[in-house]
Amino acid sequence: MMAGMLRRLPKSVVSLKWYQNSVSAYSSDALKQKEAPIVDNSVILDDKEMKEREKLTHLVNLPKEKTLASINGVPEEHVKDRRVRIFIPAKNAMQSGTNNLNTWRIEFDNRERWENPLMGWSSSADPLSNMSGVVEFNTKEEAINHCEKNGWKWLVSSEERKKKERVKNYGVNFSWDKRTRVSTK
Amino acid sequence: MLRVPLTRAICLTHSSRVLVTASARLQSNIPAKAPEKVEVFIDDQPVMVAPGTTVLQAAAQIGVEIPRFCYHERLAVAGNCRMCLVEVEKSPKPVAACAMPVMKGWRIKTNSEMTRKAREGVMEFLLANHPLDCPICDQGGECDLQDQAMVFGSDRSRFTDIDHAGKRAVEDKDIGPLVKTIMTRCIHCTRCIRFASEIAGVDDFGTTGRGNEMQVGTYVEKLFLTELSGNVIDLCPVGALTNKPYSFSARPWEVRKIDSIDVLDALGSNIVVSTRTGEVLRILPRENEDINEEWLSDKSRFACDGLKRQRLITPMLRKPNGELEAVEWETALIGVAQAVQNAGDKVAAVAGSLVDAEQLIAVKDLLNRLGSELLCTEQKFPTADGTSGTDFRSNYLLNSSIAACEEADLVLLVGTNPRYEAPLLNTRLRKGYVHKEQDIALIGPKVDLSYRYEHLGNSSSIVQDIASGKHPFAQRLKSAKRPLVIVGANALSRSDGKAFLAGLHSFANQLTPEDKNWKVWNVLQTNASQVAALDMGYKAGVEEIVAAGPKVLFLLGADGGAINKDNIPKDCFVVYLGHHGDNGAPLAHAILPGAAYTEKQATYVNTEGRAQQTLVAITPPGMARDDWKIIRALSEVIGTSLPYDNLDEIRDRLEDVAPHLVRYGRLEENNFYAQAAQLAKLQASSLQGDIDVKQRTLADFFMTDSISRASPTMAKCVQAVKKAQATA
Amino acid sequence: MRIRDLAIYFGFDKLQRLYQDVKIHGGLLMAIQKFRRFDDLKSGRLIGQDKYGNKYYENLYYFFGRSRWVEYPEYKNCEMDGSQVAPEWSGWLSYRTDAPPYADPIKIYTKYKWMLDHSENLSGTKHAYMPYSTTKPKIEAWVPKKDD
Repeated sequence: MMAGMLRRLPKSVVSLKWYQNSVSAYSSDALKQKEAPIVDNSVILDDKEMKEREKLTHLVNLPKEKTLASINGVPEEHVKDRRVRIFIPAKNAMQSGTNNLNTWRIEFDNRERWENPLMGWSSSADPLSNMSGVVEFNTKEEAINHCEKNGWKWLVSSEERKKKERVKNYGVNFSWDKRTRVSTK
Repeated sequence: MLRVPLTRAICLTHSSRVLVTASARLQSNIPAKAPEKVEVFIDDQPVMVAPGTTVLQAAAQIGVEIPRFCYHERLAVAGNCRMCLVEVEKSPKPVAACAMPVMKGWRIKTNSEMTRKAREGVMEFLLANHPLDCPICDQGGECDLQDQAMVFGSDRSRFTDIDHAGKRAVEDKDIGPLVKTIMTRCIHCTRCIRFASEIAGVDDFGTTGRGNEMQVGTYVEKLFLTELSGNVIDLCPVGALTNKPYSFSARPWEVRKIDSIDVLDALGSNIVVSTRTGEVLRILPRENEDINEEWLSDKSRFACDGLKRQRLITPMLRKPNGELEAVEWETALIGVAQAVQNAGDKVAAVAGSLVDAEQLIAVKDLLNRLGSELLCTEQKFPTADGTSGTDFRSNYLLNSSIAACEEADLVLLVGTNPRYEAPLLNTRLRKGYVHKEQDIALIGPKVDLSYRYEHLGNSSSIVQDIASGKHPFAQRLKSAKRPLVIVGANALSRSDGKAFLAGLHSFANQLTPEDKNWKVWNVLQTNASQVAALDMGYKAGVEEIVAAGPKVLFLLGADGGAINKDNIPKDCFVVYLGHHGDNGAPLAHAILPGAAYTEKQATYVNTEGRAQQTLVAITPPGMARDDWKIIRALSEVIGTSLPYDNLDEIRDRLEDVAPHLVRYGRLEENNFYAQAAQLAKLQASSLQGDIDVKQRTLADFFMTDSISRASPTMAKCVQAVKKAQATA
Repeated sequence: MRIRDLAIYFGFDKLQRLYQDVKIHGGLLMAIQKFRRFDDLKSGRLIGQDKYGNKYYENLYYFFGRSRWVEYPEYKNCEMDGSQVAPEWSGWLSYRTDAPPYADPIKIYTKYKWMLDHSENLSGTKHAYMPYSTTKPKIEAWVPKKDD
């Protein structure tokens, strides 16, 4: 270190500047400071390094890859041939709860399943089938982005249908009308 | 709280009592013209709702779900389960949210101490007499009682059976082969009773006894005689009514659910197909306000076990000794291709009732390339010399849309029994009849439509009278605000169907409904494939093919019996492309196994002209393949390859032919009514004989196509209905 | 040093042995035939024969592990497999016992009447065991009527 400095000294005034810098940083009231001051040592950098540093201060523009399919290692057959349906799940007719109908889901095309001849178990060669209807998105745009990134063909199949407004009235049960009044209740 | 109609009756000054109640009823169902919204607070969140909205609905608007058992948005309010009790500020008692209309400025607390205590109390009473057999209950996993006990119930029970008297137990009822009852589980929500009497229109269900002795049932053992019985399974919030054919076969969390479309009638009801281990286990309805609301007919729901029987799973060729032999695809395709090449342009195709649009277009393209125009559908539709009844879409569609059928004020049904041809259209009509003062008249045999209607007779001369305006009913149609004429496709397939079409269509065009866009002329199709086929330019009816005597005849799932051994030439090489061995397959010299509607992604167009697609729930069994792919492969062997290799490309082709075929879920506006009627008028001829319908009683409803004919459940239904009718 | 030792020293005894083996096997042609089938030409004392025609030999001249062998019957040609050895001979052949089955005092192998007859390994033949599906097919296929 010392030797290096000595070698530089006669070469340029820059080194002198650096020396002044460092000295001025530790100025007279150094005792009052809590931490060691930061010494600006950019002056001793050579031109090449300066240029490199300057480059880093700008924003870096990288080529934007739209799809991850080329680098994420997913086999090609699960990228090119897959069709994804983006939808809001339908209300289960068996239940009255509606809390799971607010998010968008994706679903893959169904692939073949077959039966194990010994036990009758069913198997599939489709790892993505287990993602069907499970991954949730807040908006359909998010879901579309996800599909685009993974290189899947997608299709939005639910329209946001407006709920029909119904006026429900307990009194109808007792209205004097032959058509609504029925024998059993 | 005074009952609403009564308060209104007092306020209004009409002298006639009938008028008052009628208007009250109207007001109760149709929202007033410009309702001033009132502000209420649900858990301190302000929400603006129309006056008359119930607390439960107001809460639903901001996503607060109030637990309920008896309330169902498509049924009348019963208010008997008390699960929806909520606290309203300054009200000393909790109120039943499902029945209580909101008042201005109400502060409703859905999560307060009082509300919670009320719910826990109700739940405790329910569970005191509900069996704890969830592990063996078919509803387990999709049970409202289970869910709500977890979320809203108390975490401990005070129920102790000190006397070892056991819980309340009720004997099970036998209500037919579709619905299994375990009545001990019943919590008396009365949803099934209300569904039966309001929607299905059969007053079979009711309650007997009171208090702890109350039972839901049919009083005397009898069959639940309706085409919509399966819906009570969905409605039942507990496991009291479960699916009999599906019982003990799977749990809801194990099944994969695939949204699809039903094709067993022409309505295209939206369904969810539940599959497990590569097998369709059950079919449930999927909500679609425009088509099936949330109901499903029994055939659509329970015929799915027909998909596992009588299936064509390998290609077959007929050996010289007359027996069909299973062969490899290559052999079969070469065999068919040779026959086609030898036939030149004497090739024809008949489309059956379950064919999808992709297959139709592939076959049409192939035959056109071979130089043949002989493409027909099984079901006839009036055509005449030079002009065709199928040139304009509005001629053969249910133009007014299914949903609008409930808005009509006067409906004329001609030669159709909507109750069995399209059960969910019939529920619309019934809804209009019950709630919206709709009047319905029928020309045809006297059948039970589940509501009262005016029977004009079954002679076809009445049709002529109405068309010419002589009949008194014609006057009523003319003065009606929203009249509908619904003609059954089977009536139009008569030999004098032209006269039906010409007379009634031009009469319908003369009518002047209040709304200019109101469509009067409607055809109720019975086959799911018919509209798509006619859209693509298939000719209706097989006469042309019979007359031409083709050398090769493709039967695309044509099992309706229009083609039989006697009306095709002896040397005709018949190729059956379909999924079931039914009426068509035994005729065939070559069988190419295709996919059923649960096994392919395919387009179907329903009777109102709405294109919808089915999705692949399971893959076709054995060596069966997608139908259009078979045609595509065959075209290559023949030597005229069709220019599409995947689903997107064939759908592009569909779009070229008719863009509406790929606009899924949307309803296209139809036009050219006047021209269509003009065309039809040219063909007018006289009418003779009586009008009949194919499906008169419930027994005729269950087995109408190759899938339902293969279904053991449907066979059981027919037997049960016949037995019930014989003893009744 | 005798001539015999000298012959051993130069390895002539091996030639002599070969000559004897060939002679025992009944001439050059027969010897070649044997060699083709067994890839070996050994001669030894015939200990016994089983009902399948396998002949069991012993020659203590060879070291342990090679001193007992089986010659499969000629009708098997080259279709030979260890499982063709009769079960009663298996013990002797693999040195579990020194007594051949007919002279075994402790009866290491006893044939009871409820025992199935021995069968060789049928893998790779058309009689090989193939497990069949015991599950009911999920799809019932259509069977065309014969009279159509």
